[in-house]
Amino acid sequence: MRTLFFFLSLLSSVGLIAQAQFTDVTDSAGVRHQFKVLEGMFGGGACVFDYNADGFEDVYVTGGTNDDQLLRNNGDGTLTDVFSGSGLELTRRFVTQGVASADVDRDGDVDLFVTTITARDSARTIPRARNLLFLNQGDGTFQDATDAFGLTPLYSFSTGGSFGDFNADGWPDLFVGNYFIGYEGKLNVISDATIVGANQTAYDYLLLNEQGEGFTDVSEAYGAHHRGFGFGGVFTDYDNDGDQDLIVNNDFGYKAIPSLVYENQFPRKAFRDISKELELDLKINAMGSAVGDHNGDGLLDYYMTNIRFNRFMVSQGAGEPFMNQTKPADMNFVSISWGANWADFDHDGDLDLFVSNGDLNPNCVPMANFYFDNTGTTFREIGKENGAGDYGIGRGSVVFDLENDGDLDVLVVNQEAVLPNYPVISTTRLLRNDAAPGNWLKVALRGKGAERNGLGSRVTIFSNGRQMIREIDGGGSSHLSQNSKIAHFGLGEAASVDSVLVTWAGGKEQLLTGQAVNQLLTIEEVEGPPRKAGSWWWLVGLLAGLVAVGAFLGMKRS
Amino acid sequence: MFFQPSLHLRAVALLLFFFILLQSCGNGVHYEDRDVPSVWADMTLKLSKETPGNSPTYASRCLGYIGLTMYECMVPDYPERRSLAGQLSQLTSLPIPDPGNDYNYVLAMSAGQAKILRSVYNHTSDANKVSIDSLEMEIENYLRSSLPTEVADRSVSFGKRMAAAIFEWSKSDGGHRAYLRNFEKGMVHPDLPGSWKPPLFAQSFSHHPLHPFWGRNRPFLPANYEVEEPSFIPYDTTSGSAYYEQMKAVYETDLVLTQEQKEVALWWGDDPDDTFTPPGHSYYIAGMVLRANDEDAITRAETFARVGMAVADAFILCWRWKYQFFSERPNTFVSAFIDEEWESFWPDPPFPAFPSGHAIQAAAAATVLADLFGPDFVLTDRCHLGRRYDEERETGWVERPFTKFWDVALETADSRFYGGIHTAQDNDVGLVKGAEVGDNIGGLRWRR
Repeated sequence: MRTLFFFLSLLSSVGLIAQAQFTDVTDSAGVRHQFKVLEGMFGGGACVFDYNADGFEDVYVTGGTNDDQLLRNNGDGTLTDVFSGSGLELTRRFVTQGVASADVDRDGDVDLFVTTITARDSARTIPRARNLLFLNQGDGTFQDATDAFGLTPLYSFSTGGSFGDFNADGWPDLFVGNYFIGYEGKLNVISDATIVGANQTAYDYLLLNEQGEGFTDVSEAYGAHHRGFGFGGVFTDYDNDGDQDLIVNNDFGYKAIPSLVYENQFPRKAFRDISKELELDLKINAMGSAVGDHNGDGLLDYYMTNIRFNRFMVSQGAGEPFMNQTKPADMNFVSISWGANWADFDHDGDLDLFVSNGDLNPNCVPMANFYFDNTGTTFREIGKENGAGDYGIGRGSVVFDLENDGDLDVLVVNQEAVLPNYPVISTTRLLRNDAAPGNWLKVALRGKGAERNGLGSRVTIFSNGRQMIREIDGGGSSHLSQNSKIAHFGLGEAASVDSVLVTWAGGKEQLLTGQAVNQLLTIEEVEGPPRKAGSWWWLVGLLAGLVAVGAFLGMKRS
Repeated sequence: MFFQPSLHLRAVALLLFFFILLQSCGNGVHYEDRDVPSVWADMTLKLSKETPGNSPTYASRCLGYIGLTMYECMVPDYPERRSLAGQLSQLTSLPIPDPGNDYNYVLAMSAGQAKILRSVYNHTSDANKVSIDSLEMEIENYLRSSLPTEVADRSVSFGKRMAAAIFEWSKSDGGHRAYLRNFEKGMVHPDLPGSWKPPLFAQSFSHHPLHPFWGRNRPFLPANYEVEEPSFIPYDTTSGSAYYEQMKAVYETDLVLTQEQKEVALWWGDDPDDTFTPPGHSYYIAGMVLRANDEDAITRAETFARVGMAVADAFILCWRWKYQFFSERPNTFVSAFIDEEWESFWPDPPFPAFPSGHAIQAAAAATVLADLFGPDFVLTDRCHLGRRYDEERETGWVERPFTKFWDVALETADSRFYGGIHTAQDNDVGLVKGAEVGDNIGGLRWRR
């Protein structure tokens, strides 16, 4: 019987497996991190970004009531916490949750957005606080820009932040998931009524980047105003129409507000709630939505993490509802899941899935992480065999290439157990991928008109008859976390890549052919008109012209 | 020739004009005495439903104090009836009217209801507080119009003093402002075989149980300290054991729920986030009965007092045993030992199972109502009509007809079995113990 909780007797078997794909290098890599909850289960996450632009991706990890860490990649497979002196120390005053990065001010370096639920430096009757935006100064340090970007008045209990570019103007926009109801400005007067009202569902924030001048909440104006026990969302082009749609994860969807999908009406400034039509109005405890095309059909699928059974929602094509394939895909295992990451870990040309599991602190039953190996038609869960099945209290997880050796490694944020006697060490784990024999290609995007790191853009490659698509993660394709912004492809034995197609945000396409394998390909956006953007206005212009001609002819007759 | 009305006719017309003018200047609201307890009960249920931080425990407590205040404000007008001062736990005295002075006890009761509601629902919204004020003023203005000012003032003062005294007494019962500590975040749960586990298919976002110390609260009735604790079928995971079969019956029933069983489970769910809670539902049914019978004001007040205290004490006893036995829900047992993929029809409430709170309070209320009005009563419960269809469960809101009070209690209990969150023993024990609480209410000396 597939067991609900993984009893400790299983723990001993983990060490007996030979030639595991993943090696836990947490200690040797110098990672010493543990997320500490304020109370209950919330947080944390990690964000992969190359903050010092040295070509090795670094990681920022939130700490909750512990200090966050800025883990500098030393280029030799080790990481060093360089948090102190980074300018990010302000986070010490807050209980941090999730983290995402983007070049918010388009100055060429990557900035950081950290969500918080409350302040750490004073007890709050009602836990709320502002989120924190830090601008990268280009010298390895950051400066608080929360106020300058208009985020200070948003006094919230925020979980996950996700960058995207939903208006395709090149400036990264931001979606922030909120769990408990927020306030505009600080709570100066607290009564019994405000206390009991504080645990109601929250409105999320849809923040438009006003060309680097600040963020404006446009959720109402864009028709994406909703409540829910929010665990953030992810910008993704589910319908392949060249603009970024939005998936929103809501906890307690069966009781409060279900998860949502908003179809971007670009170039109109509007989103349309299409959750029901797509049958993605999931009434579950949605914790995250991992984006990936698991079967190479060119349609993005989504793995929604949940309590007990996750949902593997597979696209059936344009206009068709998604189909829950959890059982047919042999992914129907019980756990409590948070982070999830699609990646071709074994370089065989299809996407596998890592899933981070952990109990609801202070409940602390150990449950191992999942690793679903893609067998072509179904998946095989081999987490405990291949070294991914850590029993820590997992939350957010990210994939990135730690040593720039071409394969993807995993970092999982683990919580400290609130109650004593948790039977294993529950600290953040770094799992190095040591068994990816095939060839690979990594693609980094450098937008000019488009967002500078490719948020909102997509890379499609064709190799050995396979089509593989990757979106650049702006955050949220794993619980409260952001994967590497470098698209990664496993190629198996293919000796070259037939073509690499970049679809920049807004629809402009750029094609490269005959690319070598086992390289990091950096693609700079070429100048040129967008392919799709504005097509709607052509139609408007045509109609207006016809009306004008009609009116002219009518006048002549009269 | 034009019609020339007589002087007499013109005077009548003029009087009629002034009468209509007078009526149109006023709000036209008319209250019979018997209406007043019922409109305050309506207001009580509105507050329970609309005040955040709601819980069945706190709601039951409120109903006890609100009903008692209603009764005590009116009882001095009825020499054949007794005050409960001296009969309830640590309640030695209550304000009494000044001898020789006239009072309007309906006006006193109305003022008392407004005050006790403001006190126990201090945490409700400003809009709801305005609603209380409006109702209070509307009734007061209506009643004052036929009373000397000093009588009206005296009556209002008496009602407020009564409410203040009862509220002051309430502060020492263990549940004062309990909405601020619904979930004890520091509590370490017992972790024994069969212990309650925080639900994975949960009705509440909290993973801590609701009001774990509620069972230590002071019951209204001293007799309820003496209620014997129930026995519990021993935990046993062996197929065929009594415990296993209890759980299996929940599971097997849930797999083949009829549409009506789903409707029953939905109807009596009474989620505190959306409704007036299960004890509020009992208060609502009492109100239906009183209106249907066109009972007088004091009968209504006494009925609300009896039902309110019954559900309050039922919940105290229930919570005492819930945390004493700290028993698991079927969702925990069934998924571990019978069917890993099973999920109950209704999500788990955030507290242990045994005995059922729905069953115990419904039985207490049914016993009280049967004691007052006889066991048979034709009623149709329509309180949830018009609510949004439950798409997740593919179930709508369908009125519930009854011919006996006890059938209401039975269906309330059954609803939790159909919901997959209570075993038969949870319900059976709840019903038995609820009836005991109801009997104890009847055992108070209500008449001289």
